[in-house]
Amino acid sequence: MSPQPADLPPVDTRRVDAREKVTGAARYATDLLPDDLAYAVPATATVGRGRITELDTSAAAAVPGVLLVLTHLDHLDLRSPGFVMGGGYGVQSLQPLLDDQIAYRGQAIALVVAETLIAATQAANLVRAVYEPEPFAVTLDSPGVERLSQPATIPLPFLADLDVGDAESAYAAAPVRVDAVYDQPAQHQNPMELIGATVWWHGDSVVVHEGTQNAAAIRHGLARQLGIDPDHVEVVSPYTGGGFGQKNSLQIHIAPLAVAARRLGRPVKLVVSRTQLFHHTSFRPASRHRIRLGADEHGRMLAALHDVEHQTSRFDLFPLMYTETTARLYGIGDFRGRQTFARMDTQTPGFMRAPFEHPGVFAFESAVDELAYAAHRDPLEFRLANDTTVDPVTGEPFSSRHLAQCLRRGAKRFGWSARQQRPASMRADDGSLVGWGVAVGAYPASIVPSAAHLVATADGRIRVEVDGHEMGQGIRSSIALLVAENLGIDVRHVDIVVGDTRVATQHLTAGSWGTASTLGAVHAALRELRKQLGTEINGPVDVTAAVAATGHDHVEVRAETLGPGQTEQDAEHARQGLVALSGPEFTGYSTFSWIAHFVEVRVEPTTCRIRVPRVVSVADCGRVASPVTAASQVRGGIVWGIGASLREAGEVDPRYGGWLNASLEEYPVPVNADIGTLDVDFIGEPDLRFHPVGVKGLGEVSMVGVAAAVANAVYHATGLRHRRLPIRIEDVLAGTTGSSR
Amino acid sequence: MAATEPAYEVELSCAVNGEPVHVRVDTRESLLDLLRERLGVTGPKKGCDHGQCGACTVHLDGRRVVSCLTPAVQVAGADVTTVEGLAGPDGELHPLQQAFIDHDALQCGYCTPGQIMSGLACLAEGHAGDDDQVREYMSGNLCRCGAYAGIVAAVRAVAEQQGR
Repeated sequence: MSPQPADLPPVDTRRVDAREKVTGAARYATDLLPDDLAYAVPATATVGRGRITELDTSAAAAVPGVLLVLTHLDHLDLRSPGFVMGGGYGVQSLQPLLDDQIAYRGQAIALVVAETLIAATQAANLVRAVYEPEPFAVTLDSPGVERLSQPATIPLPFLADLDVGDAESAYAAAPVRVDAVYDQPAQHQNPMELIGATVWWHGDSVVVHEGTQNAAAIRHGLARQLGIDPDHVEVVSPYTGGGFGQKNSLQIHIAPLAVAARRLGRPVKLVVSRTQLFHHTSFRPASRHRIRLGADEHGRMLAALHDVEHQTSRFDLFPLMYTETTARLYGIGDFRGRQTFARMDTQTPGFMRAPFEHPGVFAFESAVDELAYAAHRDPLEFRLANDTTVDPVTGEPFSSRHLAQCLRRGAKRFGWSARQQRPASMRADDGSLVGWGVAVGAYPASIVPSAAHLVATADGRIRVEVDGHEMGQGIRSSIALLVAENLGIDVRHVDIVVGDTRVATQHLTAGSWGTASTLGAVHAALRELRKQLGTEINGPVDVTAAVAATGHDHVEVRAETLGPGQTEQDAEHARQGLVALSGPEFTGYSTFSWIAHFVEVRVEPTTCRIRVPRVVSVADCGRVASPVTAASQVRGGIVWGIGASLREAGEVDPRYGGWLNASLEEYPVPVNADIGTLDVDFIGEPDLRFHPVGVKGLGEVSMVGVAAAVANAVYHATGLRHRRLPIRIEDVLAGTTGSSR
Repeated sequence: MAATEPAYEVELSCAVNGEPVHVRVDTRESLLDLLRERLGVTGPKKGCDHGQCGACTVHLDGRRVVSCLTPAVQVAGADVTTVEGLAGPDGELHPLQQAFIDHDALQCGYCTPGQIMSGLACLAEGHAGDDDQVREYMSGNLCRCGAYAGIVAAVRAVAEQQGR
C-alpha cells in the first residue's frame, strides 16, 4: 500500500459492499420477484446411463397450477453451447432435454413450470420414465473407463507433456528416492448460493439474472443455443453467492428456462436443489498422482516425475494442468509431467478453487515431505535449500518469487524452531499427539482483456463500470481502494458496477486473474481521466473542481487493457464471450503467486479425531490490493484446505451411478467449530514487471498446499503417511491398529 | 390453464419485522418460501432447504429457527424477525451488523443474514462467553467462503460490549 499524504484521513479499508450484505439489501439473482413469476423444477434420470423408452408426464401436467412440462419430446430447438474449455460457453457441451439419451444419473429429463414452487415440485416428482439401461463407469477403478493421453488427444502447446532435462535418468541415478501414489477424490464446490436463475423476455430480448462468474458466457452461449443475436441477451449478476469455479460458465438450465419463459410469456425462476446440484453442474474431478522424486545426499532435489490422471465425462475433455504448477515449486533441473484423461459416465467435471494446484500440490508436497524425511532433513530447511529464482521450465526468471521469505516469516510466526523432527514425538498436555507440518503452494498468474468506463461527476463521485464479478472475493473493495488512493478521495465516493453485460463484456472471472485484470483496466482509465481533467499524473484530485473546470457536469473515459503479449485478437475473443487468458509464461519471465502454510494438528489418541487448532500462512501475491478482503481470502483458502484434507469427498455408487452423499449433511464442509486460529500475513512486494500496479492473484493460491501441510502434520503427529484424501478417523485408526481401509 | 387452487390452504396472521401480515398459505409451504416468494422478504436465503446450512435462519418469537424447516402454518400469531428487521428506523445498524462489517465476517454475503440472526440468538442465549463457545453455537450456520474467524470475532465483540 502506498503511504497516505498526511493531510488526508486514513483510507477506510473495510469491505465496501458489506452494508448491503449485512442488512439483507443485496439482491441475489433468485431474490427477484417479478410480477407474474412462474417456478420451474427439473425432474432427473434415475439410471447411470441409457435411453428413455417411455416418458409419462400426464400426472405432472394434471397437478393444479402446472403451466408447462418441457421434455425432449417438445423439440426445444436448442443448439449445444459448446464446452467452455472446448471453444464454447457451457459447463458441458451436452444440453439435456434434447433427445432420449441419458449420459449420467441425475441428468434432467423434464422441466416442470407451475404457478407456485409447491406445484412445480409436486409435479416434477410425478414425471415417470422407463429406461433401457446401459453399463456405465463412475470411478477411476471402474471397468469401462477409457484412458487417453492428453497431448495425443488435444495437441495444444499448453497441454503438452512436460519434459525438462532427462528426469528418468536423473531419478534412476538419485541416491535418495520417493515413489508414491496419491489419491484425490471428486469434490463439490457447494457455494452457499444454490445454482439458479430468474429469466424473462422483454420483446425480442431475454434477460437473465443468475449468480455467475461469467456473464459473457451466459450472454453469448445462450444466444448460440437459441440462435439469436447476442445483443438480444442481457445478463445481470451484481452479487454471486460464492462461485469457487462452479459458476464459471453457462449452466444447462438457462436455455430451457428461456424457452419456458418465451412460451409462457412470463418470468420463470429456477433454484436447483442442493441434491440436484451435485449432478447438475461441475465438480472437482477425482485424480490420481504418481510422484517420483530423487535427491542427493545433501538434500538437493535432482529429479521429479509427476504422472497424473483425472476423470472427465464421455462427451467433454476437461483438461489437466497439474504439472504446470508442480514443476515450478522448486529448482529441480530434471522434471517430467504426464497427464491422462479417464473418461466415464458423469456430467462434465470442471473448475473448483485451485482446480489442479490443490490436488497436484497435495501430492507433490506430500512427496517432498517424504523425501525430506528420507534424506534426514528438516522439512522446512529442505524446502529452503531447493528454492529457485529461475523458472526451471523456461529458464527465464520469475517476475517475483518471495517464497523463501514466506517460509522464513511463517516459520518464525509459527514457532517452527521448537519442532522435534521425529514423528510422534510431541504431545499436548491433554495427551493428544501434536504434529507440525509445512508445505508451499503456487498458482499461475494470468491476465485477461478488460475494459473500464469511468464517469467523474460534479458532485465529486466516480462511477466505475467494469469487467469483473463479485463473488465474495471483494472486487468492489479492490476497485474502490485503487480509485480512492489514486485520486485521494473517500472510498464511499466510488460507485461500482460489475457483473453486468449492459456496461461491459464481463469476461470470466476465475483463475485468480480477476483483480489483476480489472485493476489494470481501472488504472488505465484513471490515467485517461487525469488527462481529460487536465490534472497532474499523480497526487490528490479535487474531482468536483476539476469536473467544473471542464465546463461539463461530468467527464467520462474508457480504457481497454490486455495481458502482457496479448493482441487485438485476444480482445475480440473476449468480446465474443470466450476465455482469453495470458500467462503464466510471458516474454522474458514467468509469474506465479506463492504461499507457505504451517499447520498444527492434534490427534486424540483414543478416537483418532484430528483437530487443527492453528494455521500460519504467508502469501506473496504482489501488491495487496485490498488488505481486509485479501486476508479474508487467505483465511477462506485455509478453511477450504482443511475441508479438502479432512472432510470432503463426493461418494459414488458403482452399482447405480450418480452421487450418493448429495447434501450438506452427508458432504460435510468445514463448520465454525472446525476452525481454530488462522494467522495470515503478506509479503506485499508489488510485482511491477507483471502488472502496472503490482498485483498478482490470491484467491486460489491461498488454498494450495494447505492439504499437504495438514497431511504432513498428521504424519508428524502419528508417524503415519496418508496418501489419500480426505484423511478420516478410520484412516488414522487403521494406521494405528495395523488394518487398512 | 389448470386450476390454481392448492389442495390444502390455511389463512393466518402473523407479524414480520413488526408489520402485520394476513396471508393464505399452502400447508406444504415453508416459512422460508412464504417470506421469499410471497412476501418479498429475501434476506433469509435458501442454501439447502433441509435445515443443514442455516442460511434461512430467522427468529420466531425471539427464538432462532431454520425457516426452511418451519411450516408457514406454524407462524400463525407469531412474531417473525428477519435480518431486514434489525436496523433502526433511520437505517442505523444493529451493533452486530456493524461488528460483521468491522471484522469482515463475510465474503459473498449469502450466508450472512442467517449468521447474524444466529449470532444474535447466540448472544441472547448466553452462548458467547468465549471463542470456543461461539464456534460451537455458530456451527449450525455454514459459510463456504470460510469467514468463520471474522464471525467469531464479531459475535465476541458484541458480547464484550454487552458485558457478557
